[in-house]
Amino acid sequence: MVQVEGLTKLYGEFTAVNELSFSIQPGEVVGLVGPNGAGKTTTLRCLAGIIPPTRGTVLVGGHDIVRDALAAKKQFAFLTDEPRLFDYLTVWQHLNFVARIYQLADYEKTGAELLAELELAGKRDALPGELSRGMKQKLAIACGLLHSPKVIYFDEPLTGLDPLGIRRMKDSILKRARAGAAIILSSHLLHLVEEICTRLLILQNGRKIADGTLAEVTQKFSAQSGDASLEEIFFRATSEPALPPVLPVESK
Amino acid sequence: MIAALCYLQYHSTRNRLVTRFRRLKQPKYLFGAVAGALYFYFYFFRYLFRGYGNGAIPAAGPLASPQSALLYESLAALVLFVIVLLAWIIPHERAALTFSEAEVAFLFPAPVTRRTLINFKLVRSQLRIFFSTLLLALFSHRLGGNVWIHALGWWLVLSTLNLHFLGSSFARTLLLDHGVSNRLRRVLALVVVAVASVAVWIWAKQTLPALTDSDTADFKSILNYAQTVLSAGPALYLLYPFRLVVRPFFAPDASAFLIALVPALLLFLLHYLWVIFSDVAFEEASVEASQKLATRIAAVRAGNWQAARKNQKAGRAWFKLAPAGPAQTALLWKNLIGIRQVFSARLWIVIVVVCVVFFAAFGHIARTQNVAVVAAIIIAIALAYSLLLGPQLLRLDFRRDLPMADILKTFPMRGWQIALGEILAPVTVLAGFQWLLLLVGFGLILFLPGKQEALMLAIGISAAVLLPVLDFLMLLIPNAAVLLFPSWIQTGKDSPRGIEATGQRLIFAMGQLLALLLALVPGALAFSVVYFPLKMLAGPVAPVPFASLAATLVLAAEAGFGVMLLGKLFERFDVTEEPAS
Repeated sequence: MVQVEGLTKLYGEFTAVNELSFSIQPGEVVGLVGPNGAGKTTTLRCLAGIIPPTRGTVLVGGHDIVRDALAAKKQFAFLTDEPRLFDYLTVWQHLNFVARIYQLADYEKTGAELLAELELAGKRDALPGELSRGMKQKLAIACGLLHSPKVIYFDEPLTGLDPLGIRRMKDSILKRARAGAAIILSSHLLHLVEEICTRLLILQNGRKIADGTLAEVTQKFSAQSGDASLEEIFFRATSEPALPPVLPVESK
Repeated sequence: MIAALCYLQYHSTRNRLVTRFRRLKQPKYLFGAVAGALYFYFYFFRYLFRGYGNGAIPAAGPLASPQSALLYESLAALVLFVIVLLAWIIPHERAALTFSEAEVAFLFPAPVTRRTLINFKLVRSQLRIFFSTLLLALFSHRLGGNVWIHALGWWLVLSTLNLHFLGSSFARTLLLDHGVSNRLRRVLALVVVAVASVAVWIWAKQTLPALTDSDTADFKSILNYAQTVLSAGPALYLLYPFRLVVRPFFAPDASAFLIALVPALLLFLLHYLWVIFSDVAFEEASVEASQKLATRIAAVRAGNWQAARKNQKAGRAWFKLAPAGPAQTALLWKNLIGIRQVFSARLWIVIVVVCVVFFAAFGHIARTQNVAVVAAIIIAIALAYSLLLGPQLLRLDFRRDLPMADILKTFPMRGWQIALGEILAPVTVLAGFQWLLLLVGFGLILFLPGKQEALMLAIGISAAVLLPVLDFLMLLIPNAAVLLFPSWIQTGKDSPRGIEATGQRLIFAMGQLLALLLALVPGALAFSVVYFPLKMLAGPVAPVPFASLAATLVLAAEAGFGVMLLGKLFERFDVTEEPAS
């Protein structure tokens, strides 16, 4: 569903993403992890056509994001950590607007279902300024999912959500994956990645240093057995010294 | 303790200035600073250095004559009275001294008394007042008088007002604590105003001769009548404290200034004591205010200018947006809904000022000419202004949506579609306004005498066809500029500040004018090519609409080409570039 080949993004002399190649199949949930400045957000932005890659190709649903941008963009939704909404459009007007952009004839039914699913049905006429942080996130999700994307990019999807919101967001991601969507999820929350991702892509300094299932990555970076936590694997992979575990006072 | 707070203020200001000097290494700020400095020098400062002569400002400007100074003193006192009155009527929140979140975090838990915090706020506000005083004095100095007297006068007015706002907010909080609701307070204030107004009216009716036509014949006569009312009877006593505050500003010389200064300083001191001895708990409201401020700042720094705004109300859609059809219509629809934001207090002030200037400037014509002629002239000027100022004020386009560029870029739309959709809303609003003016103009043509009817009709039709395309071209330029130089142009609501920002605006305004003139050349050529041959056949009037149509077609082709270019610019626009600063 998503094929990335030799993706490189340069900012002057600085290489943000370096020769990145990977592919994602329908139903896969790929966790994009790495330390700050690893190139995660740049990668997602290139995949979403927000910034052009310096080199390499990105195919979304078989369409090149540069040469056939319109067809490619119809395939995906990009959900940022900070919900980006128009503060003068109501909840329903956002859906109406997105429906016209994506030419969705039956958006009213889908939109109503999405609002009900995301518990926004009672907020149809509310402006973003009247919504809580979590509700705004839900509205951004509703807008992203309205055209039933085959690919969904999540950039830090749990930022600002309460525990219930986190639970629902995880369920929502898994539900879309089960429905056949290919999902890329960028997050610093390793337990989230560990919990819901079927595959892991670790970046460092713009380069891919690991790509595989959790078991495969664990095996690659685990010194002895394959039972190390993702946090430990992450530190080993990115060469950061692991913090000593916090132990009860008696056992120290 | 106050020493620590002064240390904080000194180093914050110093570091801010150092940062601004350092960024002058970047050409965009350096050029802006040079242009801004030249502007301030040629418009204001050179008069300080050249003295009064050789074309400089005469000492006897409108503010320097004793008679007019008295009139302006009355008017200034009245304005001050209204401002103070509004401070007692409009606000509804509890008293809150706005601190930054860091200041709240450091100062509120620290062993700092409430009085020290107030003093700190007052000292800090002096910095803002100092810059305001400088600018206002440079401006008012051009109206005549002594610049130092003006500067000290402005400082006194602004500082006293600052203290009054603070004191009234404390008083409001105390009233709320004692069960006097905002509504009751407002009703009481309005009752006082009503009683005062009635007293002035009764006095004027009984004492002054009846108002005649000559009293309202022109602006000056109205002002003279107002002066008579304001400088005697109850108004004299009502405005007396306000006169005391503004009087130093209007002092003709140093000795008069010193005499006027004593009571003004006394009032200032009384205000200070009022503020400093008000025992009002402002901390809770201040914490809330600082959090709101921090949220807005954080949203702005994150590029989310939309979230930084407040008090939004849902706008109505101008038309029903069907799910099928050109995608660019969705952007037009969206931007038209957001038009409520454009009509901000600032825009209304500009509109009111422009209207007042119009009527003041053309009022005298109305007495000697046909009203229809006057109205037609006003409409023509309004059309010209709408063409020049409209695109600057109606920012329902990339200038507002640029912070959302990353989202716009994920839409399955071509660059030109997004560019067209963004520009259509301001064009629609401007063209609608201009057509309305033209319709009024058409109505007035009926009252115009003789042969001018045909000519005016021809010009009106031509304008109706040409104006939307001209609006479009005018809007293309700032939209292209915001994509090419995003840090030079104001995006969202907050604007860049400082001398370099002023210079950047000047450079941009000149560039825009030049670009517009170049863009108009092909249209003017097309007009000439059609107009002059037809003029020989059909006279001077009939060819005007046809020539205008030809010009419109050429300009429309330019506009189409411009949209394609703008679309390309947007496609190449790098969302990771520096935002407005």
